[in-house]
Amino acid sequence: MDLILQLLFTGIGIGAVYALVALGFVLIFRATNVVNFAQGEFSMVAAYLMVVCVEFGLPYWLSFVIALAGMALLGVIFNLGVYYPLRHRTYLPVIIATIGASILLSNTVLAIYGPQPQVLQGWFDTPGIQLGPVYLDSQYLLIIGVTILLVLFNFWFFEKTLLGKKLQATSQDKEMASLLGISVSTMIMITFIYSAVLGGLAGILVAPVLFVSIQMGSTIALKAFAATIIGGFGDVAGAIVGGLALGVIETFGAAYISVPYKDGFAFLVLIAFLVFRPQGIFGERVAEKA
Amino acid sequence: MSASDNMIPAPAVRSKPLIIRHLPYFIGAAVLVALAAGMQFDGYILNILLQATTFSIAVFGLSVVLGLCGQINLAQAAFFGFGAYAVGLGTADLHLNFWLCLVGACAITLVAGAFLGMSTLRLGGHYLAMVTISFQQIVTLVMINAVGVTHGPDGVANIRRPELFQSSQSYLAFCVAMLAIVGYLVWHLPDTKLGRAMRAVRDNELAAGVNGIDVFRTKVSAFAVCAVLGGLAGGLFAGGFAYVSPDQFSFAESIQFLTMSLLGGVASPIGSVIGTGLLILIPEWLRFLKSVPGLYLAIYGLSVILIIRFMPDGIWGFVSDAFTRWRAHTKAPPVAGALHLKPATAGGDIVLEVTGLSKHFGGLKAVDGVDIAVKRGSVHALIGPNGSGKTTTLNVLSGLYKATSGKIVLDGTDITSMAPHQRTAAGLGRTFQNIRLFRSMTALENVEIGAERPSNTMIGKGDDALTERAMEALTFVGLGNRANELISSFSYGHQRLIEIARALASNPTLLLLDEPAAGLNSTEKLELHELLKRIAAQGLTILIIDHDMTLVSEAAQHITVLNFGRRIADGESMAVLRHPDVVSAYLGSE
Amino acid sequence: MKLTRREFSAGLAAGLAAPALMRSAWAQGATIKIGMCVPVTGPAAEQGLWAQNGAKLALAAVNKAGGVLGKQVELVIEDDQTTNPGIVLAFSKLAAQSDIVAFLGSIRSTQVQAMAPDVIKVGKPVMIGGTNPDLTHSGNPWLFRFRPNDNYSGRVIADYGVSTLGKKKWAIVHSTDAFGTAGGKALTEALTKLGAPPVLDQGYANQSQDFTPVVLAVKQSGADVLGTYFTFENDLGIFARQLRQLGVNIPWVGSPSVVAVSSTKLAGPALFGTYGVADFAEDSSDVAKSFGKAYRDAYKTAPDNQSAWPYDAITILSAAINKAGSTDPTKIRESILATQKFAGAEGEYNFDKNGDGLHGYNVVKNDKGKIVYDKHIDFND
Repeated sequence: MDLILQLLFTGIGIGAVYALVALGFVLIFRATNVVNFAQGEFSMVAAYLMVVCVEFGLPYWLSFVIALAGMALLGVIFNLGVYYPLRHRTYLPVIIATIGASILLSNTVLAIYGPQPQVLQGWFDTPGIQLGPVYLDSQYLLIIGVTILLVLFNFWFFEKTLLGKKLQATSQDKEMASLLGISVSTMIMITFIYSAVLGGLAGILVAPVLFVSIQMGSTIALKAFAATIIGGFGDVAGAIVGGLALGVIETFGAAYISVPYKDGFAFLVLIAFLVFRPQGIFGERVAEKA
Repeated sequence: MSASDNMIPAPAVRSKPLIIRHLPYFIGAAVLVALAAGMQFDGYILNILLQATTFSIAVFGLSVVLGLCGQINLAQAAFFGFGAYAVGLGTADLHLNFWLCLVGACAITLVAGAFLGMSTLRLGGHYLAMVTISFQQIVTLVMINAVGVTHGPDGVANIRRPELFQSSQSYLAFCVAMLAIVGYLVWHLPDTKLGRAMRAVRDNELAAGVNGIDVFRTKVSAFAVCAVLGGLAGGLFAGGFAYVSPDQFSFAESIQFLTMSLLGGVASPIGSVIGTGLLILIPEWLRFLKSVPGLYLAIYGLSVILIIRFMPDGIWGFVSDAFTRWRAHTKAPPVAGALHLKPATAGGDIVLEVTGLSKHFGGLKAVDGVDIAVKRGSVHALIGPNGSGKTTTLNVLSGLYKATSGKIVLDGTDITSMAPHQRTAAGLGRTFQNIRLFRSMTALENVEIGAERPSNTMIGKGDDALTERAMEALTFVGLGNRANELISSFSYGHQRLIEIARALASNPTLLLLDEPAAGLNSTEKLELHELLKRIAAQGLTILIIDHDMTLVSEAAQHITVLNFGRRIADGESMAVLRHPDVVSAYLGSE
Repeated sequence: MKLTRREFSAGLAAGLAAPALMRSAWAQGATIKIGMCVPVTGPAAEQGLWAQNGAKLALAAVNKAGGVLGKQVELVIEDDQTTNPGIVLAFSKLAAQSDIVAFLGSIRSTQVQAMAPDVIKVGKPVMIGGTNPDLTHSGNPWLFRFRPNDNYSGRVIADYGVSTLGKKKWAIVHSTDAFGTAGGKALTEALTKLGAPPVLDQGYANQSQDFTPVVLAVKQSGADVLGTYFTFENDLGIFARQLRQLGVNIPWVGSPSVVAVSSTKLAGPALFGTYGVADFAEDSSDVAKSFGKAYRDAYKTAPDNQSAWPYDAITILSAAINKAGSTDPTKIRESILATQKFAGAEGEYNFDKNGDGLHGYNVVKNDKGKIVYDKHIDFND
């Protein structure tokens, strides 16, 4: 039982990381109908920005603000450089361009910073707390907390604010939105900024646990993408639940079935979902519009 | 495995002149093979050429699945690895014959490709991207962890070559010969029935379906062809380098294959060779750039973005574009005879009998218990105000939507639960309100796809008969002299005519026309009216939807009126148009 | 006809290999050339730089002492891109230059395996750093190893844990890549021979984000000592921290990554008190100390095994060619194999018939973040 509780905590913790990155995927997908394969690199870049600022001697909170501001800027550049020129083409060139962007980002960081992984201190000085038989890592507690807050924020933002509703309208029907006087390209720009900041936030939060390395983003992103499909593509709640479910499945699969095949579980679950329940846990819409 | 039946294109049945026309290709290939066999290369160049040759074959696969069929495959390195491991483990561990292993490599990848395709190709592109990535990751994990079978990360060493090609030089010549043969097949695939089907699916899935193409089967075939070429290439690679290990078949390699394909030009095997050659040679030339780790790959990533942005058809597409346009204009289309329509007459007096047809989207009843009976040889119109359910009805009739309830009988056959392409085979032809043509093809090729409808009785065997039938249909709508032009060069009205010609070429039993007059000017409308008369004169039954009351009242003998998804009137044209419910539905009831 | 064909071939060759040819054209005949395949790009690019540093340091010393056979020695470097196909191309590119007399291969075992068929074809000596035992045990006469192979690391870890620390209940955690699998196997064999078969043998995949299941497995196995083969420092760092968080504090003897500088930096206190085997330890001998000093003087950073083995390889290769008095490959081979009791930076070289020069490891300890030399364990068989 102690074992199960410990595994459950870790599973939820790592699952929350997937969920955060998955959220960025879903937002961009809903707005542009495109999967952004560079989403994981957003997390990586933010973590490196954070390391640079902290090493420069800036206070932690200021570094955090600067890193997220940097991500917002990256979101703008990404939209203008990668998505916007291709917006009238099919999804295929855009996917490939985002793959190109992911190669570009990770290797630019490699060229500047070298391949050695870096250390980023956590938010808290205490590494964790012992709660009965279960050890709770403080950084994972923070990640879970932030995920809950973000879910609430997203709900409020998309359902209660005018900007959120405009974004919703844009993602549902671009033509109708522009007829209503909503600037579609502005909405897409905002989406890219928000999603880059979200990806960056995930990267900064997870960096103290996983260290800061070039590959940190790509492995998480693949899992996060699997999570979005399990949850139901294009569904915000689905991304969160999918991410958490994947983290838990993976951790228990590793503990009770096989550690070396741990990464395989995510993809097996994914394929099973695609074959038997392609609409995901929450989704309704399957086929692309006729 | 029906998916693989028509997988291999059949240039063998082509008439003799074609072989003679392609003689330069074979002479060129023979010269290349002789060069590969005869020249004294040093080991470095030999390795580069061997790598380029085998990689090119794998990239051919992508030009089929991505270029021809428009489906993404991010697991080509996994299939490449399947082939390499089949030959590697087969010759090194099981001491089997090389040729047997190579055939085995193709068979395994065929099954794996078809299986993977069948499990996911019903879903859209993003899912396919994700599933192929997952497949790739799992294959890599298994290669690394199933140590008992694959030797794990150590890889497989001492892979043997066939007795005949022991020396590296002769093996290279053999690989070049394989490249030439596969290249020839891939080059001509677009002109075969399967190839046309793939292009149609890529250009417009819906239109492909209603023109009698089994979209799913076509996609699975393309995927399987791609996988087999990957497997073949991997097998040849393993023989060439004598050692394989899991890291050579990782996701990164799949991306590299994809980039090779895109860089050279995804539409043609020549592009594949150019792209592969460049991406193997450029890193070799730019070795000096590599003193800063990451710099080279960063430039590589940037180039991918720039190529996609500025050279969407790759290098070869860029070069060949102008040439193709020029050639399309110079080739004069053949002169055609008159088009004959012989609608089948298996059933009775009623060609289409729809009873209690409903289509609900969640709570919305778009079509609700509609009955329609279309008499043989008549022109029947389906009208109604906007949102009355006309187009939904048509989409349910042609199989794009599944009926919630009700029954559709076409010429005595119950087609209610058939897929679109099966309905087409049963004798249905249709056009779309927003024209759905295959935009990358010429007018003639578009109509040929229609003529290729399974169970089309009005067409003989062979490509010549196909072209003849398509030309007749194009001439019938008055565009025979522009048959070899690309769709984009036609006006909107002419595109509509081509779409009708495409449906006519298939010799349907019933023709569904979805707002054919929409967007036409008055002259074009007159021409359309004349055309409809000529079609009806040949005894073809037509079900037409339109807003243009003049057209409808003049062309149709019988009218069914829908409003809010329900039938509100049905009968002889003039009577129906004077029906008070119809008048109020159109004018609004005060 | 024949002439033109050869000309054409030469032209093509020149086009493909132009940069390399231009570089070496004017140096023809004046120097003795040694080829070196090293990662300049890819994940191991930085380690590749250290390897070049080590080789160049030895080269300078050799040339200062009069070179080889009266000529200066020149190093021809090709990038292996840290990939298997990359090293095949890099090696064949070097091998195509007929005036190169010997080569330095890779520190990565799979890369050596990938290039091995070409090595046999070329038939010239290749110095390697890959530690998979099979490399020198599968009948390839041209491979010479300048690091102890994994059989020895396994034996040293087992011997140290069982004899020195007195622990018999072992848990083994290893990466499932080539290095980790081979190491885990060697350690299991060595422990079984010592009468202490492991109670847990747990593999993991590289770049795992979480090691909780592994740590819990170690905890539940009841082991009183831990042996590890980790490939990547960030995996090791995550594992070490989670191990301590979940209260596992048993002694830990691991492969070189446990005591690598970057792991020490990443994991911090979680690795205090651990032992690791190291083929290079600066305090292990006088030669190692003087190499360390020279390296620091030249490059301002601490040396490690990545730079030590190429240093030894160049030194011993040059001495062997001088002793052979010729650049004939067979004579060089015999001369290398005859090298005995040669003190190098990595240890004392006694080449056996397989081409393995070293037969033991240093054991070092992480003493509150500082790596200190503990003892050297050598085997004679």
